[in-house]
Amino acid sequence: MYPKWLWSSFSLPGVVWLVLLFLVPMYAVIGVAFGSVDPILQTPLPAWNPLDWNIGWMDQVLHELAPGGIYWAAVVRTLWYVAISLALCLLIGYPVAYYISRHAHRTKATLLILLILPFWISYLMRMLAWVNLLSPGGYADTILRDTGVSRLAVDLGLITQTNWLSGQSATVILALVYGYIPYLILPLYAALDRIDKSHLEAARDLGASPFQAFLRVTLPLSKTGILGGSVLIALPMFGDYYTPDVISSAPSTTMIGNQIDYYFHGGPQPTVGAAITVVLSIFLTIMMGYYIWAVRQASKQLETL
Amino acid sequence: MHPKERRSALNRRDFLLRSGGAALGLSSAGGLLAACGNSTTPTATTGSNGQVVGPGGYRLARPDQPPVLLKYWEDPIASNLPVETGGTFNIYNYPQYLDPAAMKAFGKKYGVTVQLTSFQDINSGIARLAAGGVHPDVMEMTPDNVERSVVAKLIKPLNLDYIPNLKNVWPSLQSPFYDQGSRYTVPYTTYATGILWRNDHVTEDIASMPQPWDIFWNSEAYKGKVALLTEPRETIAMALLRKGIANINTEDPKLINRAVADLKQLNSICNIRLDDTQFQDVPADKTWLHQAWSGDMLVGCLDYYTFSPKGATSKVLSYWKAPKGHVPVQNDCWSICATTQKPVLSHLWLNYINDVKVAKSNFLNYNGYQPPLSELHPDTLISDGTFPEFARDAILTTEDFGAGSLQEMTLTNAGQAIWQNGYAAFTAGG
Repeated sequence: MYPKWLWSSFSLPGVVWLVLLFLVPMYAVIGVAFGSVDPILQTPLPAWNPLDWNIGWMDQVLHELAPGGIYWAAVVRTLWYVAISLALCLLIGYPVAYYISRHAHRTKATLLILLILPFWISYLMRMLAWVNLLSPGGYADTILRDTGVSRLAVDLGLITQTNWLSGQSATVILALVYGYIPYLILPLYAALDRIDKSHLEAARDLGASPFQAFLRVTLPLSKTGILGGSVLIALPMFGDYYTPDVISSAPSTTMIGNQIDYYFHGGPQPTVGAAITVVLSIFLTIMMGYYIWAVRQASKQLETL
Repeated sequence: MHPKERRSALNRRDFLLRSGGAALGLSSAGGLLAACGNSTTPTATTGSNGQVVGPGGYRLARPDQPPVLLKYWEDPIASNLPVETGGTFNIYNYPQYLDPAAMKAFGKKYGVTVQLTSFQDINSGIARLAAGGVHPDVMEMTPDNVERSVVAKLIKPLNLDYIPNLKNVWPSLQSPFYDQGSRYTVPYTTYATGILWRNDHVTEDIASMPQPWDIFWNSEAYKGKVALLTEPRETIAMALLRKGIANINTEDPKLINRAVADLKQLNSICNIRLDDTQFQDVPADKTWLHQAWSGDMLVGCLDYYTFSPKGATSKVLSYWKAPKGHVPVQNDCWSICATTQKPVLSHLWLNYINDVKVAKSNFLNYNGYQPPLSELHPDTLISDGTFPEFARDAILTTEDFGAGSLQEMTLTNAGQAIWQNGYAAFTAGG
């Protein structure tokens, strides 16, 4: 017999990792958000003791994040960008994951490698590649122009002019989709691949059409994958600043992450950047809470099957 | 802010910078922690004699006011000391702002290995220095940051006996208003802020317009091809100047808010973009109209064929800057860091960088930003074929600086917050 503590000790590296690289930095950000600023060096002076917290910065940030505030437009835009990007990722990613898990027999390994390929290249480099491809005269721009896609996008109101890099929301959204979709497909594929085929066979035996079997069996059983993948890509999207910065660099496409980045790039108010970060973190924690709750519910449903 | 604080770059060299910037951003929490150990005595916005003071407690330095004499926080080193040799000489600077050949030659001359450590922007550079994250011998400095760097004892007093080449510099910058007697700094490069455009696309004669800055508010026809600098001070100052407000260091919230409101109009007029890649994007025909530094025009002329389509001519580039008193001008400096282990050699670096041959080579063969050398006059640079006649407006002279000039200088902390929030409101794109 092994002592009980042995198995618990396996979690120690993870706990240490979490404390050192998440909780401590997070508390540092909170300390900065509620702290003060060195008036000469303009570096943050965190308030480590909650009794010393200065709520002035947070109050200011909450006021400016509300409708009519400085950051309100960026907040609304961020919510829209993430919602649309997430929907597009699911629309594109789900069929891909479904195909690989169900129908790609001999090609499954190859397709999975192809899915992992983007991870070999840094996100930033992939975005910069699109800058060159979409710039006027670039390969992608030429193809889109010659095939009439650019014109069609303008006619449909997706972009305001055929220059894709001229500060277009659609370009930023497509870049977000392109950048994050692999992170959605992989957990989705894992969830779909785990589904016991006998459930589908039972559904078919009981008279369900293929579409009904998908709707009533596959889709509910893949809910954890959908939620997991969605959380995995939505969280970094909310804090993304370099995609709009690289792809657009127009105020009309600024996301809330850009505002955080801006306040951390010098000036007398790094506390404001930290305060926005804290508010964003609380929002994301709520989302994460919903995810955990939904996964538990899905697990309970699975147990009843 | 500063020309080298380029944030949206596309070429390979700049891409590498971006990667570094991203890494910096991702590790911001670490940076915060690193900076947490520093605490200095808070200062009031108003000094003991009722004057408005900067973060360091000195009267705010302005070109049209008596120069600020910075106190020595320690004595300068004595004259005629032996030069330190051997080991590493550490330079702290923006990336790609100093010719590697110049560094190599200096190292060879004094038997040291010259090492460059870069910062992405001057604020983070100073914060890192203050946190003890770097131990440079010399660093690039900007005039608006000199005061606080002295008070925080980050830079050392100079002994000008070691820097005879200071005489090569324009008289207006030999004893600048922000550092009377060059106690802590010597000049490095200069630039003005104006408009760079492609005259093969932009049909207006911008220079002849009653208010040339208006071109940005009349640029519907060039939508998607118009951009401003990503610099809070520069963009808001432009909007102030457009309305005839020459005090580009104002801390009046009403004026700044009005300027921001004007800037916001550009979102619907031309879907304005913000980037600092005008030096390559305008020659490469990616942007047609751009707020730009004079150095960008000079870089554009020097490097035109690197960026432009085959067969093109640099005559398509035009540059305008307002006359003195209406145009923001700026200069960079060099200082000796308090962390130096080679104070004599550091002085010799400051002397070396103002050597005519070295400064000229660094300007023309590498960074494209004009050093304030008396020898580099527009007439000379044009007559010897270095620059075309149409670039004349981008070449500065000593008369562009000093009393009567406009320079974006140190603000009070409260003033900086007003500017920072104003720019945030503009970039939020509401």
